[in-house]
Amino acid sequence: MSASQSAVRSRAEAVQVSRTFDWMILFTLFTAVLGGYHIHYMLTGGDWDFWTDWKDRRLWVTVAPIVSITFPAAVQACLWWRYRLPVGATISVVALMIGEWINRYLNFWGWTYFPVNICFPSNLLPGAIVLDVILMLGNSMTLTAVVGGLAYGLLFYPGNWPVIAPLHVPVEYNGMMMTLADLQGYHYVRTGTPEYIRMVEKGTLRTFGKDVAPVSAFFSGFVSIIIYFLWHFFGRWFAKTDFIADDNL
Amino acid sequence: MKIKDKVAKLSFVALLITMTAAMFYAPTASAHGEKSQAAFMRMRTIHWFDLHWSKEEVAVNDTMTLNGKFLVFAGWPETVDKPEVSFLNIGIPGPVFIRAGSWIGGQLVPRSVSLELGETYEFKVLLKARRPGDWHVHSMMNVQGGGPIIGPGKWVTITGSMADFVNPVTTLTGQTIDLENYALDNVYFWHAVWFAIAFAWLLFWIKRPMFVPRHIAVSTGKANSLISAGDKKVGMAFALGTIVIVAASMGSTNEKYPVTTPLQAGLLRGMKTFQMPEATVSVKVDDATYRVPGRAMQMTLTMTNNGDSAVRLGEFNTAGVRFLDPAVHEDDTNYPDDLLAEEGLTVSDNSPLAPGETRTVEVTASDAAWEVYRLADLIYDPDSRFAGLLFFWDAKGARQLVTVDAPLIPTFI
Repeated sequence: MSASQSAVRSRAEAVQVSRTFDWMILFTLFTAVLGGYHIHYMLTGGDWDFWTDWKDRRLWVTVAPIVSITFPAAVQACLWWRYRLPVGATISVVALMIGEWINRYLNFWGWTYFPVNICFPSNLLPGAIVLDVILMLGNSMTLTAVVGGLAYGLLFYPGNWPVIAPLHVPVEYNGMMMTLADLQGYHYVRTGTPEYIRMVEKGTLRTFGKDVAPVSAFFSGFVSIIIYFLWHFFGRWFAKTDFIADDNL
Repeated sequence: MKIKDKVAKLSFVALLITMTAAMFYAPTASAHGEKSQAAFMRMRTIHWFDLHWSKEEVAVNDTMTLNGKFLVFAGWPETVDKPEVSFLNIGIPGPVFIRAGSWIGGQLVPRSVSLELGETYEFKVLLKARRPGDWHVHSMMNVQGGGPIIGPGKWVTITGSMADFVNPVTTLTGQTIDLENYALDNVYFWHAVWFAIAFAWLLFWIKRPMFVPRHIAVSTGKANSLISAGDKKVGMAFALGTIVIVAASMGSTNEKYPVTTPLQAGLLRGMKTFQMPEATVSVKVDDATYRVPGRAMQMTLTMTNNGDSAVRLGEFNTAGVRFLDPAVHEDDTNYPDDLLAEEGLTVSDNSPLAPGETRTVEVTASDAAWEVYRLADLIYDPDSRFAGLLFFWDAKGARQLVTVDAPLIPTFI
């Protein structure tokens, strides 16, 4: 077969090759995002995502969406502007959370025996789905950043509340009150994670009384808007074909 | 195939086999690198003493305690942040025990505490056995800006099966739960629900041709034809469904758990100190040398007894290693062998130091522990000083503690 001949001999064969190519690309994209996004999120979200006694109503709510909207924005930029596929955010977060579950189950539980109910990952999926739908409906990076970014931040805490609420039931322990999540952190010894590095309930949002989570979520949403823009541009830049010379195409 | 290619192929196969085989050899990490920690940190920060491990063997679900005292050394090194924010930890390989309680001066310390230089504190850690095995159990203090300061460790065996471990806790709402697996089904359920919704959204798109035809369409200006009105309706259904499920699940959760509180955090100050009997002996270190070949530290001490009863020097304790003069004091606490030099302390004249008497003596603390615990590495530290605790006893058995802190000169011949 010469270079000028087609590799396929019929339309049916072309469709089959195209689908095979789809699965190969999808698998590669999925695993690459899983690895890259997972490392990124562990380095930036880290302990806030690892431990229930870090999942507070101020900093976890603020930090997790801001540092996790990154890869969804970048992958959206590639899949939407190149292929009109509105799954960039969802596929990224599904990859991340599958990676996290593998890590938490095999490493945290399997190797070091932390119960899964102290080290399960945060749920980022509601925000990701809404982010994808807004991009599809609006076909606009700006709209997705402003509305989607804000929604991504706002949906995070309520999307996780059904999972963490049981662990925020109070308990009296040797004369002190703490939540069950605090007690988990105290009981299940982490020699390398002393209590003082736990960044929870710090800040100046005291005038809002007990209702600081919505304020934190709004703040997180606003910053997520900016981060979305930034990473969307990263995604667009990396999705360029300028890296390949024309005569190679 | 060329011989060169064959060698390359076989080398690659050998590498893969080696790497795979390596996965099957994963020995348990038993200790905590305590010997690797800079010697000056162990000798000049937290001095642990009177340590007692209540058991050497404990069954799953049974408890043991590690209690004792620690002195926050007044000559705290400049290169380590002061213990203004510290956490009483326990040095074990992960949650092989759970920490059922920890106290400093009788105060529960689940949070960080502020410690004062020069003060002594009494502590206790209650441990409940969880995972069978032989574990090195250390006292440990984490200091913000200073890192973990690990104390002496002792081997403890946990017997039984981890499957039998239970961790019952009664909440303030009156419910008794097993914290070991509490709410786990709820975690799995909600994650499964959201994964199912996300996969449904992905499946809706990836079931149709994806990359090549769509790329061609976008490149030829037909991008808008790729999203149909039906797709938009499905998208809106997913978005609205997501918001409704989030709102509804939050509402139902609030009904199910009407009483919840925020995570508790904060620094505990004003910890109760332990008042040691006031020392009536004063000690001046005239000089101190470490003889590298002999694994021995020699001190010239000028001791003055300002009390009203004669005393003798019985113990030098540094970095948890105890050098004893058996003629004065013998250990009856079952202290770890590797940290105990039962005949490791020699005093040139250890006759009772009479009240009002001043005497200059040569004191030698020698034992393999200097090497084994890498305390000899002090000579490579940035601040080559040693420090430790001297314990004196009178004829009635009354003990007093004196701290020493001085430069150390190594001798290599």
